[in-house]
Amino acid sequence: MSFIEVDDLKKSFIVRKKREKGKLFREKQTVEALKGVSFEVEKGDLVGYIGPNGAGKSTTVKILSGILTPDGGEASVGGRVPWQDRKEYVKHIGVVFGQRSQLWWDVPIIDSYSLLKDIYKISKSDYESRLKELSEALQLEELMRTPLRLLSLGQRMRAELCGSLLHRPELLFLDEPTIGLDAVSKLALRDFLKWENREYGTTIMLTTHDMEDIAALCSRVMVLGHGKKLFDGKLPDLLEKFDTIRTVSVKYETDDPVLDMPESVKTGRNGDEIVITYSPKEFPTPELLKALQNAGKIREMTLQPENIDHLIASMYKEMDL
Amino acid sequence: MNTVKLYIRSMSMLIKSQLQYPLSFFMQTIAQLIMEGGEMMAVILIVNRFEEVQEWTGGDLFFFFGMMSVSFYLTELFGRGITGDFPSMVRSGRLDTFLVRPRGVLTQVICGGVDPRRITCIAVGVAALVMGSRMSAILWTPLKVLALTESIAMSCLLIMGLFMIEAIFCIHSVKSVELVNALTYGGRSACQYPIDIYPRPLRMLFTVIAPFALTLHVPAAWILGKPLYGLPTWTAFVTPLSGIVVFVLMTFLFHRGIRFYRSTGS
Repeated sequence: MSFIEVDDLKKSFIVRKKREKGKLFREKQTVEALKGVSFEVEKGDLVGYIGPNGAGKSTTVKILSGILTPDGGEASVGGRVPWQDRKEYVKHIGVVFGQRSQLWWDVPIIDSYSLLKDIYKISKSDYESRLKELSEALQLEELMRTPLRLLSLGQRMRAELCGSLLHRPELLFLDEPTIGLDAVSKLALRDFLKWENREYGTTIMLTTHDMEDIAALCSRVMVLGHGKKLFDGKLPDLLEKFDTIRTVSVKYETDDPVLDMPESVKTGRNGDEIVITYSPKEFPTPELLKALQNAGKIREMTLQPENIDHLIASMYKEMDL
Repeated sequence: MNTVKLYIRSMSMLIKSQLQYPLSFFMQTIAQLIMEGGEMMAVILIVNRFEEVQEWTGGDLFFFFGMMSVSFYLTELFGRGITGDFPSMVRSGRLDTFLVRPRGVLTQVICGGVDPRRITCIAVGVAALVMGSRMSAILWTPLKVLALTESIAMSCLLIMGLFMIEAIFCIHSVKSVELVNALTYGGRSACQYPIDIYPRPLRMLFTVIAPFALTLHVPAAWILGKPLYGLPTWTAFVTPLSGIVVFVLMTFLFHRGIRFYRSTGS
């Protein structure tokens, strides 16, 4: 049996529309946020959960963290059903919402942690050793006496992470953890998550819009759209499936090289550079290289990696999301 | 025991947070004093003008006013999470963070709000109680002290229960329902006077639906040495228990409501 088992999970919300003219009551509309999602996650996995806004990512996380009760389907985490016996269940999980704080706004963060210690009934020795370790790993030592409201966004996210891991959860949910962070903070956060995962075997499930997060962290990625799971596997496989267009820039020694390319390949000029966009499916890369070499002596060449965001956008488009 | 400790620690932290803005805190406390002082002025004017309202003397009126003030603002002071902050907890998603912690939701909501500014209102209420007690020449006995304590405690639970109705609506529609204020704030304004000055429908409302008459007026009448609306003495100790009944019922409904909670945004 897997650590997380989700089978045919369904959830719909009733949304009241604005009252139309001439009608007495507002019309109700049922929105299916999840239309039967199933997956399994093994203990110690680092799983990314992506999809456009409104795909049902947060709904899944909320159900698995015991906030929402689903309309249908089954789920269990470590043998427990999230929406039954909530108090017992949540002892074993940690949740970080990227856009809402779990700590107290106006007091030094150390005070928040000490209240969390009481809330989770953590023993004094456990609390002290865990806090020391986390504050070192997250570089929070010097911020402990600072109120949360005075921290920068990156510092705040680190403080939130510390708060959600004090009780040593087996499973950590991260809902858009890198939203709004600068590059350095993002890298530090990813390093920390890898460390926590490696050191304690904490299972981590994160939703994100930042594909770099997935590339850096997740061995596995699930794509959700319109309340359904559309892809489940390794990131390279996902990329290969939707890797449609690549760009190559070439500079030649000679001024006017004559390129002999099929029609599917687009060529353009950028200064003395020739920019070529092609699809490896239609025109394999080795053949492109041959054609480039035939045209003259190459001085410089750069192969631009596919921008993951573009790729995901084209993927969403192809999947009709 | 652990819950009590958690409550005390949460309170001290919240008070610490509010004192981060000392000037604002001080000004608002003064504003509260002026507000509640104004309410008290109304009673003073009535007493000056009429001396007696039905069979109630001026001292009796102060006593009723004081009991209501103390009960209501004690509730607002210690139960701010329910009486004031709950709608914003739902809107801002703080309720979600409560749900992912291994403690009762209601416990965390109550631990999530305190309003120490109300201390001035309570002071006004205590002053009114003392004045009323002097003017009506109440002979205090241990039983009367017990009746007063029970009445205030039960009224607090009742007020808490009434505010929970609003919270329950709020869980369902994610918006606060002003109608419920008729029972809470309306109840406070109406029931700070003796209940028998009102017409029958209002008396019924505050006996059956929001039983301030039972938690507050019956014991107060007994303490003031009135005939207790023709009821035997022990009723002055039994009727206030309706406060805890309302509270328990609303707690039950609150927990049912949480099961239907739908959360906001991502």
